[in-house]
Formats: sequence, structure tokens, C-alpha cells
Amino acid sequence: MTVAPVSKKTQRFPLRKDRGAPAAQHPKRRRGEASNFSIRMGQLALAAVVLGAWEVLGRVGVIDPFFFPLPSDILMTVWVWISSGFVFPHLWITLQESILAFLTGAAAGLVLGFLLARVLFLERLLDPFLQMFNALPRVVLAPIFLLWFGLGIWSKVAFGFTLVFFIVFFNTLEGVKSVDRVLVDNARMLGASEKQLLRHVFIPSALTWIFSSLHISVGFAITGAVVGEYLGASAGVGYAIAQAQGVFDTKGVFAGMFILMFVVLIIDLLVNRLERRLLRWRPVRSS
Amino acid sequence: MTHPLQPEPSKFAVELNGCTKEFATPGGGSYFAVRDIDLKVEPGRFVSIVGPTGSGKSTILNMAAGLLNPSSGTVHSFGEAVHGVNRRASYMFQQDALLPWKSVIDNVSLGLTMAGVSKAEAYDESRRWLEKVGLKNFADRYPHQLSGGMRKRTAVAQAWIVNPDILLMDEPFSALDVQTRQIMENELLQLWQESDKAVVFITHDLDEAIALSDEVVILGAGPGSTVVGSYEIDIPRPRDLLDIRDDPKFVELHREIWGRLKVEVSKTYESAREEEESDAA
Repeated sequence: MTVAPVSKKTQRFPLRKDRGAPAAQHPKRRRGEASNFSIRMGQLALAAVVLGAWEVLGRVGVIDPFFFPLPSDILMTVWVWISSGFVFPHLWITLQESILAFLTGAAAGLVLGFLLARVLFLERLLDPFLQMFNALPRVVLAPIFLLWFGLGIWSKVAFGFTLVFFIVFFNTLEGVKSVDRVLVDNARMLGASEKQLLRHVFIPSALTWIFSSLHISVGFAITGAVVGEYLGASAGVGYAIAQAQGVFDTKGVFAGMFILMFVVLIIDLLVNRLERRLLRWRPVRSS
Repeated sequence: MTHPLQPEPSKFAVELNGCTKEFATPGGGSYFAVRDIDLKVEPGRFVSIVGPTGSGKSTILNMAAGLLNPSSGTVHSFGEAVHGVNRRASYMFQQDALLPWKSVIDNVSLGLTMAGVSKAEAYDESRRWLEKVGLKNFADRYPHQLSGGMRKRTAVAQAWIVNPDILLMDEPFSALDVQTRQIMENELLQLWQESDKAVVFITHDLDEAIALSDEVVILGAGPGSTVVGSYEIDIPRPRDLLDIRDDPKFVELHREIWGRLKVEVSKTYESAREEEESDAA
């Protein structure tokens, strides 16, 4: 029978819900929904109100500026870190670690995901072990990686790798396995070899899943780097934050947070661009 | 189109001998989808398979395509045993089977490019086919930008461009509205008449089967259904599908075949109702 299989495991991996399952239909715009412009204005106003309230409450002493430094002070610290060039070597180290962790983790996840999805024997053989490693809270690996790989970038790369790998791996596996049976049968009837099936059917189909995980795995690569640096390093944004914390410089801690936030936002924007290019065949969604 | 010469037994385009297909059920048991199917389709003939719901029509087609292996029995195509995908056949699926990430022209040319034809040549041929099915201006669209009827036309072009000797069609037009469907049936018949391809057409619509075919094969009620009757449709060609339902010969054949099919349909209905009652009890 050629009935399209409905993946029973669709709910297994909740993270992918983040960007919507590939085939998800976007609801039509509801009546009375505000226009883009007024939404943007509303967002600006909301940010201004929250930051303003924070600033005012801090200045009148309702909240303690020692624990919650004033937004204006944080901004000043960010500016000092940037203008003095202090933050750039740290940022560069963190980015290097993130990029390496992302590339190796994503590559390994893709290869193993495709392999296990296509070779049933391997999936059944390795499944319990992969589940075990996935169940392990990865943060506990950071100390042992520090011992194995030292204080340099490689312990952070290894740590980020374990975070990225599983996300990409599970999404690829699910993406390949959830390919519509009819599409595979049709391509086979048109004479596709195993290699051509991979190229014309499985890879493009899995791409939607891989991209939905990409946003998360890019974030995790950076998380891995920062947490690793925080636990033990000689450079990196995480290290800078840990140093600031060590001298009770909460402004420095917040400044590090804001800088990381903006870097991740910029990277996410680039991923979005890439996604739109590669997935332009998809029905346009209003988001 | 008449075939006065009976081809040699080994030269049937599709030949199923005593094919039985058994599926495992999740509970650990098994059930027979179809049992002892004998089906012979001569080259160039249009044969429809009609049967009630659950009579294993698609199973038969998938065995002919080589997508399913029979549990017992043999499948031959032009004298050769079918192992793996039947290379001489194209398949039109009931569902949308176009690759959503490929444009219309890339979908149509897929069979050619995968066979090693150069892209320029494949595109030229695809454009000819797109013109033939009336989609010349939609080459660069993606499937989701087309209507249901246009997607079916693309699927027709995709299946025909590789010039197969056999076309296997699994209720290809069942998702279309009645008018679009009649137009598509007419176009299919025209394409087929210009060719010498064998067609195995699955439908649950007896009108459609009689109007299109040289032969209508009736399947019994499932599970474990088998062929219960085969009828020669000798309405002369070319046929005008829009008026064929008033043709006295059509009416007569319809009455005769429906008399047989009705028995199987009510069997299916009865067993479904019994199951419901036993579930309720």
C-alpha cells in the first residue's frame, strides 16, 4: 500500500516545534490583527517601558543596583568593553570554539543521521546507546573534557560538539525517516538509484528538519563554548564574565550577557537568510 | 483499438500468476490482502481493475510495479520476472507524488536526468510535454503553487516522458472535482490512443472503468480477495467520454458488470457492519 505514513514519533523531539514542523500550515491572518508597523512600534514601546522602569526603580533605590545594575551603567560597560577593544579577543575565541563545535557536531550528526536512517540494522544496534548519551545532562561532561583536553579551546569544542551533535542527529534521523513513502516510490519508479534517492528525495526532505534544528544548534554551540569557558579557561566571553563575577562586577556580567545576546541574534539572522534561500520551494508563511 | 493477434504467453506486458500477498498485522498475526491473483495485460491494452474498498487493488498494482513482492506467485513483464522496480513501467499515484522542492520542469525532467540524459536535452523534452499537457507557462512554478488538476497534469507528463511500455495508474484522478476529472480522462485517453502503451488503471468508479477500458476486471470483497470476473468492453474507439454514458452498449455493459460488482460491494458492507455490531456488543 502506498498510504503516506504519519510519523508516530513526531512528538518525540520537542525542540523542533520551535520553528514548526516542515509541513505545518500557518494559520491565516486573523481579523483585527495589527499591521507590521504598529507591532514594531509596540515592541519598541514595551522595551522602553521595561528598561525605563528598571532604570528609575534602580535610581530611587527600590531595586538594588549592586545586583541589578542600571541599564545605563550596563550600556556604558558594554561601550567601554567595545571601544577599548577589551572584548574582541574574548569574543573571537568564543566564536572560534562555537564555529568548530558547530561544524564538527553538525557534520557528525548529519552523517550518522543519514546512515542510521538508511541502514535499519545500525539504527537498531546503536539506538539504546544513543538514547543513553542523549539522556545524560551534557553539562556534567564539561569537567571531564577540561581534564582530557585542557584549558584551551578544544575542551569547549568537545563540549559544544556533544550538544550540537544530538540535536542535528535526531532531526536528521527523523527527517529522513519521515519522508513521504509515495515520494520515494515515485522516484524509484522513475529509475532513481540509491544515490539519486538520497540526492533528490532524502536530503531535500530532511533539509527542512535540519534547518529547524539549525537555529537551536547554533545557539547550543555558543552555549557550549561559554559554559566551558565559565568553568575553566584563560580567554573567551565566558571567561570574561567569570572574571567580572569574581570581583562582584555585576555590570561586567550583564555586559557580557548583552554582547553574547546580540552576537547570537546576528548569527540567527544569517541562518534565517540561508534557510529562506535553500527552502524557497516551501509555501510562504506569514511569520 | 483491437488486437486480433493474441501475443505469445510470455509476451504479456503484465502477467501475474497465482499472486498472493500476506501482510503481518501489528498484533503478530497476518492477513491476506489478495489471494491467487491471475492478471494478464497485453501490450497496448487498457485494463481497469474495479473492486470494493479494501479489496487490495493497490496491492495488485504495487506487485506489478515491483514495489511489493508477492508472498507467493510470480510477476512477469514482457516475459521477464520482475525483481525490484519494474523498469518498463511508470506509476501514477493517487496522492501527490511530485517532489515539492523541485519546480514543475525539474519534476517532469527527473526521469530523464536520472537516466543520464543531459539537462538541456531533458529540458527540451520536458517543455514539449508541458506544452502537450497545457502547462507551458508554468514550468518554473513549484507544485504548491499549482491547482490539483495542474499537479495531475504535471504527474502525467512526469510519468509519460520516460516513454514506458506500461502505465500503472492508482485512482489518479479520484481527488479531482467531477468536471476536471472528465477533462483529464479525455486527455489521458487521447494520449494513450496515440501510443502503444499498456495501461493498468485502478478505480472504484465503474463508469470510469467502462468508459476508458478494453477490459474491466472485478475484484471480490476483501480481505483475501481474488478476481471474480473479467469483462470485455467492445465499445468502439475513439470514444467520446462526454456522451458515452448514453451509449446503449455502455448501459448494457454497466448493468451486467454492476450486477456482479454489487454482490461484492454488499458483502464488504455487510462484513463492515458485522464488525461494528460485534464491537458494540
